[in-house]
Amino acid sequence: MNTISVAEGRRSPGLVLDARLAGNARGALYLAVIAAAVGLLIMAFGSPFIVRLMATAYINLIVVVGLQIFMGNANVVNIGHAGFMALGAYFVAIFATPVMMKAVVIPNAPFGMSGVEVGALWAFLISVAMTTLIGLISGLVLVRLAGIAATILTISILVIVQGVLVTWTDLFRGAQAFFGIPKAVGPGLIILATVAALVIARMFKGSRAGVQLRASATDPLAAEAMGVDVKRLRLVAWVLGSAVVGCAGALYALYAGTINARAFYFHTAFLTLAMSIVGGMRSVTGAMVGVALLTVLLELIRIVEGGITVFGIEFPDMLGLSGLMLGVIIVTVMCFRPDGFMGGHEIEEAIAALRKRFGRGKDES
Amino acid sequence: MEYLIEQALNGFSIGAQYSLLALGLAIVFSVMGLVNFAHGEFIGVAGYAMFAMAAMGMTNPWLLVLFAVVTVVLAALVIERIAFRSVRDAPPTTGLLTAFGVGIVLQNLFLLLVSPRPKAVPALSALNQTVDVWGHNFTILQFLEVGVTAVAIGALVWFLRGTRIGLAMRAAALDFTTVRLMGMRANRVIAFAFAISGLLASIAAIFFIARRGAIDPFMGLLPVLKAFVACVLGGFGSLPGAVIGGLLLGFIEVMLIVLLPDKLAGLRDASVFLIVGAILVFRPQGILGKRVELGDKTA
Repeated sequence: MNTISVAEGRRSPGLVLDARLAGNARGALYLAVIAAAVGLLIMAFGSPFIVRLMATAYINLIVVVGLQIFMGNANVVNIGHAGFMALGAYFVAIFATPVMMKAVVIPNAPFGMSGVEVGALWAFLISVAMTTLIGLISGLVLVRLAGIAATILTISILVIVQGVLVTWTDLFRGAQAFFGIPKAVGPGLIILATVAALVIARMFKGSRAGVQLRASATDPLAAEAMGVDVKRLRLVAWVLGSAVVGCAGALYALYAGTINARAFYFHTAFLTLAMSIVGGMRSVTGAMVGVALLTVLLELIRIVEGGITVFGIEFPDMLGLSGLMLGVIIVTVMCFRPDGFMGGHEIEEAIAALRKRFGRGKDES
Repeated sequence: MEYLIEQALNGFSIGAQYSLLALGLAIVFSVMGLVNFAHGEFIGVAGYAMFAMAAMGMTNPWLLVLFAVVTVVLAALVIERIAFRSVRDAPPTTGLLTAFGVGIVLQNLFLLLVSPRPKAVPALSALNQTVDVWGHNFTILQFLEVGVTAVAIGALVWFLRGTRIGLAMRAAALDFTTVRLMGMRANRVIAFAFAISGLLASIAAIFFIARRGAIDPFMGLLPVLKAFVACVLGGFGSLPGAVIGGLLLGFIEVMLIVLLPDKLAGLRDASVFLIVGAILVFRPQGILGKRVELGDKTA
């Protein structure tokens, strides 16, 4: 099984809790520093196109991290997260869009929403709070189910959210794009939020609740016998995860300025799920690796997809090539590394293993 | 009254399609514990097989149907060999995610090799003719759906009860190790499970394509989700449960089509899932599923 953290190696009586906390904090710090450094470097030297790509990738990373909090710890496949992303985005749009724009976009909004306008920060907070509330309500239902039935329920959430968004045209503009959202968020804030999400997920994974939840996913019977309240822990992870995913949706709306309900359906759900799987859904580092790998790879394939010319030979358009490769990657990873690229390990564990292999010092001093 | 009878047959015929798909899922799940997310793509395989043959000039609908069925069964066997054999002993989540990857591969193959746009497959449209039975309007297709599904389920019951390999499959649902100890090859049992699941899916696919008259790369997604729902409703892994869940789902859907005003048509799928969610909250184990307490020694 995966070791709980580096704290394991230097556990001394009486210091267990502190050692664990320190180990988690160190792991979180690694992730935060890498994510921030890569993001800032791209912001400083990248072309506008690359910066845009980075911003989208980082928003995806927040989604995948939110996905990891529930899926990685409770080991239940979740497909409903794109629905929470949609909720986060639409709530922020409804609160933050200026009244003048609303007269065009949603003139007949119920609850007098067409006359309400708050600052982007407040809209963000309200949106995350409302998404979290919906996460709590759905979570109370979800924790009653286990395994495949729980997965079906997450799909139900996605379909229901999409149905409501598309049908309730007065409030959500239906299948048409919702535009005019103030672009209050730049790449810098997205990097900051990503770092925060990574730290939250890493600290949760290593926390008492996280360890208990992972234990219950491995062996429910043994965990319950130890007095672990599995349902409560799964609820905590679900609500925390939906809050993080809602954040990603809200940030996306404030970054792009225009949102469309269709963009938060199965395609997004499957893409982020694939990122999580490829990197390894049981680790937060895996989320980062998965997003990085698939973003770069899919972007490269997209160049080929549009039809390229190599040595004078013109290749035709190959629509669907990126999707095909995505599927092939998932199947290959599942066949040869069922736990994903990181195999459920965090970055500090990988570093420690590398050190051991190359014999440089027994452990960190 | 007349309207009611027509809608009841409608519910039966839609429910029959879901039952066939759900049965395929349940067979594979009960034998090897795999949640086959790629099951819906068998519909796509059938559709594109028919499209390809029709494009090459084959017009006989019987031959087209035969070709589609054979292709899907072969595809099911090939997919099992390539993708699912290597994750056979892995935990259910790994299997689910592998199947999910296989589904994406197939969808994008259709997209890449044929077209992202819908294509017409009119060969079976004749089945949508209405016939007059005792003053009611039905389509030939509806009778075929109910009739063929009943025959298929009957044949499946005979196969599971009357043949050696069927017995092995039922036993495998309880304890695969013992089945192997009795001298049955695991590969054979699983290959049969996949072949049957492909066969049932191809029948459902033919009806599905006859109804729509067109195919597109992502046509399998919604039906397979519904089939999942049917399985979960009936109790996952239970074969009678899959049939009952499928029929129930068909009726719920027809009821919603009748009851929901056109303005709320977009909420149709959402309502189906809402009702299903509500049922699951009160019966998490499904209609026919037994309540398994933690630590119970059941398969």
